[in-house]
Amino acid sequence: MYASRGEPRRRTPILKYPSLSNTQSCLMYQYDAYDQKIVEERARQFRGQVSRRLSGETTENEFKPLRLQNGLYMQLHAYMLRIAVPYGLMNSRQLRKLGHIARTYDRGYGHLTTRQNVQFNWPTLESIPKILDELAEVQMHAVQTSGNCIRNTTSDPFAGVAPDELEDPRPYCEIIRQWSTFHPEFAYLPRKFKIAVTGTPSHDRAAIRYHDIGVRIVKNAAGEHGFEIWAGGGLGRTPVIGKPIRAFIEYEHLLSYLEAILRVYNLHGRRDNKYKARIKILVNEMTPAKFTAAVEAEWLHLKDSALELTRAEIERIAKDFAPPAYETLEPVDLVGAELGKDRDYARWLKQNVQPHKVPGYKAVVLTFKEKENPPGDVSDTQFDAVADLADAFSFGHAVVTHTQNLVLRDVKVSDLPALYRRLVELDMATANYSLLTDIICCPGLDYCALANARAIPVALELNKRFDDMDYLHDIGPCSVKISGCINACGHHHIANIGILGINKQGEEAYQLTLGGHDSDSASIGRILGPAFDEAGVVDAVATVIEVYLAARSSEDETFLECYRRLGEKPFKEAVYAGD
Amino acid sequence: MRVIKDRQIVDDGWELLPADAEIPPSGDVIISVAAWNSDPLAHGERAGKVGVRLQSDELPEQIESLDRLPLIAIEFPKFADGRGYSNARLLRERFNYRGELRAVGEVLRDQLFYMARCGIDSFALKPGKDIEDALSAFEDFSVSYQAAADDERPLFRRVTR
Amino acid sequence: MATRGGTHFVISASLTDSGAPTYLALDGGWTPDLQCAAAVATEAERDALLERALREERTVCDPYFFDVRVEGGTIDPLSARERIRAAGPTTRIRRPD
Repeated sequence: MYASRGEPRRRTPILKYPSLSNTQSCLMYQYDAYDQKIVEERARQFRGQVSRRLSGETTENEFKPLRLQNGLYMQLHAYMLRIAVPYGLMNSRQLRKLGHIARTYDRGYGHLTTRQNVQFNWPTLESIPKILDELAEVQMHAVQTSGNCIRNTTSDPFAGVAPDELEDPRPYCEIIRQWSTFHPEFAYLPRKFKIAVTGTPSHDRAAIRYHDIGVRIVKNAAGEHGFEIWAGGGLGRTPVIGKPIRAFIEYEHLLSYLEAILRVYNLHGRRDNKYKARIKILVNEMTPAKFTAAVEAEWLHLKDSALELTRAEIERIAKDFAPPAYETLEPVDLVGAELGKDRDYARWLKQNVQPHKVPGYKAVVLTFKEKENPPGDVSDTQFDAVADLADAFSFGHAVVTHTQNLVLRDVKVSDLPALYRRLVELDMATANYSLLTDIICCPGLDYCALANARAIPVALELNKRFDDMDYLHDIGPCSVKISGCINACGHHHIANIGILGINKQGEEAYQLTLGGHDSDSASIGRILGPAFDEAGVVDAVATVIEVYLAARSSEDETFLECYRRLGEKPFKEAVYAGD
Repeated sequence: MRVIKDRQIVDDGWELLPADAEIPPSGDVIISVAAWNSDPLAHGERAGKVGVRLQSDELPEQIESLDRLPLIAIEFPKFADGRGYSNARLLRERFNYRGELRAVGEVLRDQLFYMARCGIDSFALKPGKDIEDALSAFEDFSVSYQAAADDERPLFRRVTR
Repeated sequence: MATRGGTHFVISASLTDSGAPTYLALDGGWTPDLQCAAAVATEAERDALLERALREERTVCDPYFFDVRVEGGTIDPLSARERIRAAGPTTRIRRPD
């Protein structure tokens, strides 16, 4: 499967961070005058495009592809603006700006998306240029958050702090962001194009196998870091697990290799049928071997061009991601630390507090899956509150996860009690990270012009049904993802329990899929049987869980493991028992 | 017709012939790749220049005797069909084509900046569009990150950051 | 005739300024209220209205028609989509006070 190309050249290790003591880290990429100019000029250009639409000079058909290059959709009730959050990372100033935008130009709330972006549901067309100017003030934009172009590059939400990481992938995400921003050749691709990068050899938390291109930092036999490249993965109406097309590419060839893949796709991807236009179809129709050969042939022309990354450029970008000034602390074992005192707190410690590579620090997940909260919705006051918490407890930064949550990456263990108390006051302390009610959910027919059925009410009903925290924690890790249509924005194909909204003679109905998984042992869920109505699908999930709890071999066997062991039969029999 | 050429509005007489049209004995005409390939040398003998139209499902390597062509028209049948951008870059960067590259078809103001970066230097706008206004599109951005036909260096090799 | 139990057609679009749903009214203007929309029974009337709507490219985006049932003076869309579009999101808009 791999296209081998001989032994990689000998190189020094990919990069070294400057030592912590003499570095004033900003923790995320800081725009220089060039980056700032591009974002400001983009805001000005879009202002012109909007004014030509408002004056009637351009028609909606001509304006559509322009607004779609800038994250502006026409939804069911209003325009929707999607703002780019590169690899999900934001500082507190940016979080406050989003709160301000929610208050000033929207109806007081925004929405965390599965591409680690943030979107607003109610802006007017006239307000968009003003919003873009406001965003540019804090080094943000809406560039390429929709349209048939290269979208926001996503990554592991714990990138940079995960103990199992080989190397921080974010500098490469930023390099890809800059390369893909207004790439003149790839603005009108056959279809949208998504790239994800992970720095972990296993426990992929960026779902790289379900991206048009997945990039994984790996180590070769000589101990050098480089990239493993996957291509042709994707969800949508034809879910496909990506294929590994190259086992190792030296870091300096990252951009030339991506450019080669994109060029093959741009020239040969199907344009006759939008449902067959993603790269996954091209890879399958050509066969992975021939697709790889075409990419390699194109790459031979590009590899020695000026696209070759320089060490200076990587170091320029990587220095901004250097770790903050961590204190030297004793490692603390949380297990059992607070058990028995406060059950809610103990659950939160167990579930939402995640490992950190630096002793004495933890990453904390704030799940936006509170009982009555549409999954991923964040109010203006919550944006502000998270900004304050980030400043107080996490070096002023937070990360959007593709599961529609926020992460405070760098919290001192000794600060956890104070942070928890504050989160309880703010209604943001639900201990359900990666549990059944940590639901990924698309906006569905409540907002989306493409949807066939509502998704949010199903998520809220599941929240109600599974509101007993003892029961929820007993069930253990179980992903539930809901899409309101076959476009699969809610990632239902790769959920342990997936729900797909369909249109049955104008009415909403829901299919249940079981057994999907988004990480290393990736699998696509299978439809269990005939569709249900809203109440029926919630009952069906409850039944599936009862079957699992009765059948699991031990408390350690997860739902997915149990399903893989037993197959769908017992679940199907129980769910459709009355039929 | 009026076209933008080297960022100026000019009148020129190139005529874009339909694929199956008879080639007139004189006048500057743009013909299909197939018609050109049938006998590239003979076309050179007529009174008037001959250019070729590269459709979006054709590739530069299909054009014979590239260096004899004063003009290649890259067709954008629809705004959203972006194959012409790759074809333009390939013609400039891989085939070293130095003649005129003209965008034809559904060519609108907001594509011009990208087209120019890909090596297209003349633009036959979609009829009915404001050609004077379109001229300003080249100024939309003063900085670009990528290497392209207009500069083989990405930004990180062009400037010290 | 309208399909699947529908009795009439309504022309709708999104307003260019706000993206809000809007409906073609009997007086030829646009109304945000579905109940004030022109509901027409024949395909010929429908197509004539749609053609008129398509000419208003500055005011509205992507006009189309959908099926409704008119009973007792009330216009009732046949699809869940158009019911939700007319009424707004069915979930609580989250804005803690």
